[in-house]
Amino acid sequence: MGEGMDQERAWIEQALRGDHAAFGQLVRAYERPVYNLTLRMLGDPEEAEDAAQETFLRAYTRLATYEPSRKFVNWLLSIASHYCIDRLRRRIRAPQVSLEDPLPPQWLASEEDRPDRVMTEKQERELVRHILESLPPDYRASIILRYWYDMSYEEIAAATGATESAVKSRLHRARCLMARYLETAATYRGRDARVEEMRA
Amino acid sequence: MRELKKCAHDDLSEMMSMALDGLLDPNSLQEVEEHVATCPTCGQKWQSMQRASRLLAASEMPGPPLGFSTRVERELAAGATHRRRVFRGLALLTGSLSMAAMTMAVSVVVGLGIAGWRWLSTQPVVQQESGVISQLISGLGLLGRTASLFLGDLLVHYGVPVALVLGLTLSLLASLWGWLLSRQKTHRNGYA
Repeated sequence: MGEGMDQERAWIEQALRGDHAAFGQLVRAYERPVYNLTLRMLGDPEEAEDAAQETFLRAYTRLATYEPSRKFVNWLLSIASHYCIDRLRRRIRAPQVSLEDPLPPQWLASEEDRPDRVMTEKQERELVRHILESLPPDYRASIILRYWYDMSYEEIAAATGATESAVKSRLHRARCLMARYLETAATYRGRDARVEEMRA
Repeated sequence: MRELKKCAHDDLSEMMSMALDGLLDPNSLQEVEEHVATCPTCGQKWQSMQRASRLLAASEMPGPPLGFSTRVERELAAGATHRRRVFRGLALLTGSLSMAAMTMAVSVVVGLGIAGWRWLSTQPVVQQESGVISQLISGLGLLGRTASLFLGDLLVHYGVPVALVLGLTLSLLASLWGWLLSRQKTHRNGYA
């Protein structure tokens, strides 16, 4: 761990002196967490790659402002989340899924209700994407940092520039929205089942 | 009563969220579990929250497409080339402005010199001299008079704007050089 940190520190120092190859090592070390965040935030792989690239370019240009007391990956994730939040706010037509929108039947299957039909990985991925897209950008960032990076409230607050109480509130509200989303999905499933019964 | 009930449900909802983060003490957790067992609304919410939580927690962390880091390095290299071009442009600009400022400064000095020479040429000691030196002085004096008339007229009519432009140009140059030097010192990889 200490050796890894020393190596990371060395790469940062070299990158500060303009060594692109050293910065390339940092990119290789953290491309997965950064890309995952941008993908979860934006939902589209192409946009996510573009945002991840922009995150690293911004990190390089602001490398002199990085404080070594902070985890480097958290600093990168902070840049990425701010960039994605801005990007989501700039979207003219946000293709967000409304709670009122009906979902395709395959996403409505739940492991509790339909033990015979366990959701495939792809279906789960789609459901997760839709759940995240149902959240406002700030809530989405907090939820992603909590679940995929296991960040504490304090770390999420530092990454998003919010207070700890705001993070606690965002996580709570996001969970309420996600629960409501799943409940709405279940309601649609019930309605569709009744329609099927009536047709039969 | 209805409001109180709503508040109690809201508080419980917050406690559910904290429970999912493992931040609830055992007594509060028991309180949540007892309530959701008797309240269908909260029970359903608790189940949905847990399901959403499980779905997110079980999600993978995908990596970017192959060659991502190479593309980032290529972008960095392209950015460095662009930066070099911008710096070259700035160097050219500051060089040209320096030359222009120097020309203006030399013109002012020459003008003052000519004006001084003109004054000297009116002095009796210089007028009484003869020979090559006298002729040279006389010729230079004529040239000086013409130039000084022009410069004098220019300064009388446009003295303030000329001084202002000169001052502004010099200030701009000093700021540009100062900025370039400060960037070189504080940002070692060449970025702000």
